[in-house]
Amino acid sequence: MNMTILRSMMMTSLRDKISLFYATLFPAGLFVGLGLYIDTPGYAPRLMVGVMALGALFWSMAGQSFQVLQQRNKGVYKLLRVAPLPSLSFIWWMIVARTILGVGMSGLIVLTGVLLFDIRVTAAGLAWSVLLLVAGSLCFTALGFSIANLARNEAQVNMISNLLYVPMVFGSEAFYSLEKAPAWLAAAGKAFPFQYLADGLNRTLVLGEALPLFPLLMLVLFTVIGLLLAVVTFRWEEHQAILGARG
Amino acid sequence: MQTLVEARNLRKTYRGRVVVNGVDLLLERGETVAIIGPNGAGKSTTLDIILGLKKPDGGTVRFWRPDPLGRIGVQLQQTPFFPGLGALENLKLFASFYRMKLTDARARELLELCGLADAAGTEASRLSGGQQKRLAIAASLVHDPKLVFLDEPTAALDPKARKEVHALIGKLANAGTTVVFTSHDMEEVHRLATRVVMIRQGRIAAEGAPEELCARFGTADLEELYVKLAEETEEGVRA
Repeated sequence: MNMTILRSMMMTSLRDKISLFYATLFPAGLFVGLGLYIDTPGYAPRLMVGVMALGALFWSMAGQSFQVLQQRNKGVYKLLRVAPLPSLSFIWWMIVARTILGVGMSGLIVLTGVLLFDIRVTAAGLAWSVLLLVAGSLCFTALGFSIANLARNEAQVNMISNLLYVPMVFGSEAFYSLEKAPAWLAAAGKAFPFQYLADGLNRTLVLGEALPLFPLLMLVLFTVIGLLLAVVTFRWEEHQAILGARG
Repeated sequence: MQTLVEARNLRKTYRGRVVVNGVDLLLERGETVAIIGPNGAGKSTTLDIILGLKKPDGGTVRFWRPDPLGRIGVQLQQTPFFPGLGALENLKLFASFYRMKLTDARARELLELCGLADAAGTEASRLSGGQQKRLAIAASLVHDPKLVFLDEPTAALDPKARKEVHALIGKLANAGTTVVFTSHDMEEVHRLATRVVMIRQGRIAAEGAPEELCARFGTADLEELYVKLAEETEEGVRA
C-alpha cells in the first residue's frame, strides 16, 4: 500500500508541469545560461551548488506548499480522517516521494556541471551532498507545509513564499560572495536554512571537504522548527486556514 | 434488520449557536436514506459527527462493529482527485487509504459499475462534472463498504449527469449497500430514498418513507413538504 502511495505521489508530482519547470528547467537554464555568460574561473562549481540549493528550495518548499494546499482544499485530508490509514503515513510518503525526486533533480544539475563545465566531483562529495540535500529537502518541505497551513489560496502561498525567498536567497552566498555586502544582509541569510544548504553543498562538492557538521546540524534544527510549526498550524480543511479564516 | 449506526441525542453548539440539538438517527442495513433540510439546518454537522469529523458536545454514536472506518465509504462535495493521475490510478491510491491493494481488474470493474469504463486512463481533472461525481462515488466504493455516505452527489450536475448518478445509486441500493445521501432535489429524494429524514434548526422535523411523510403532512409531494417545513422554520425564527 505504501508503495502505491509513493508511486502515485511521484507521478502526481512529476506531472505537475509548473512546479517541475521551476524545479528543473528554470534552475538548469539558470545554471547553463549564467555558467556560459560568466566565464570566471571557479564560478561554475559555485553556481552549480547554488542552483542545486535553489532547485531544492523551489521543489520542496514551493512545490510542497502548493500540493498540500490543493489536497487540503480538495478534501483529501478530510477523506483521510474517515479512512483507516493514518494521515501522517500518507504525508510521510508524500514527503519521501518529493525528496527522492528532488535529489534526482539535483543529480541532473551535477551531471550538467560535469558534462558541460567539466566540474570534477568525488564519490564522497556526492554521497555527502545527497545527505545534505535530503536534510535540506525535509527542512524546506516542513516549511512548505507551514506555508500551506497559513494560506487559504494559491495567491497567499505565493505571497508568503516570496517573503521567505528574498532573505533566503539574497542573504546567502549561493551565487555571490557577501564579503562586501552589509552585515545585516549576511545576518538575515543566516536566520534561514537556505544558506546552510548552499554552504554545505559548496564544501562537499566544490571544496572536497568531508561532511560539514555545522550546516547539517543547522538544517536539522530548522527541520525540527519547521515540523513543529507545521504540526501546530496543520489544518484539515480549507475553511480552517489561518489567513482569512472565516469566523 | 441490522442497525448499522445508532446516533442518540447528538448536540453541537458553535459560538453560542445550537447547530445540532438532540438528533437521534438510526441507519438500518439495506436502506437508502435521504437527509434533507435547508442550508444551515445541521445536516452536514450531524453527518460530520457520525463520521467522527466533528466532536459532539453531547450524545453518542454507535456502529455495528468496533472498527467501522474500513467498511464505510464517503463521497465529499469536493472531488479530491490527485492531479496528473488517471481515473484508475486515483482509485488505486484511494484503496491504499483503506490499506488495501486494488487490482487492475477490480478497479476496472468499479469503473464499469460507475459507467466510466472508457475513462480508466483519462486524467481525473479532465473528466466532465458528472463523470467526476461518479468517480468520487467509485472512490468511496474501493473497499467494498457496507455503508456509503454521499454528500450532495448530484449538486451542480446537468440532467443527463444527474440521471447517471441516480442510476448508480440505484445499483448500489440493489446490491444491498446502505446509502445515506444529502440533497436539495426533492424529486431525486422521492425517486431514490426509502426513508427521508428532514432536519430543521438542528432537530429532526420529520422522518419516514416519502409517501408516508406526504400523507402525514397533507402535501402533494416532498417539495411541498420541504417548502412548508422550511417556511414554518422561518416564521418561527421571525417570531
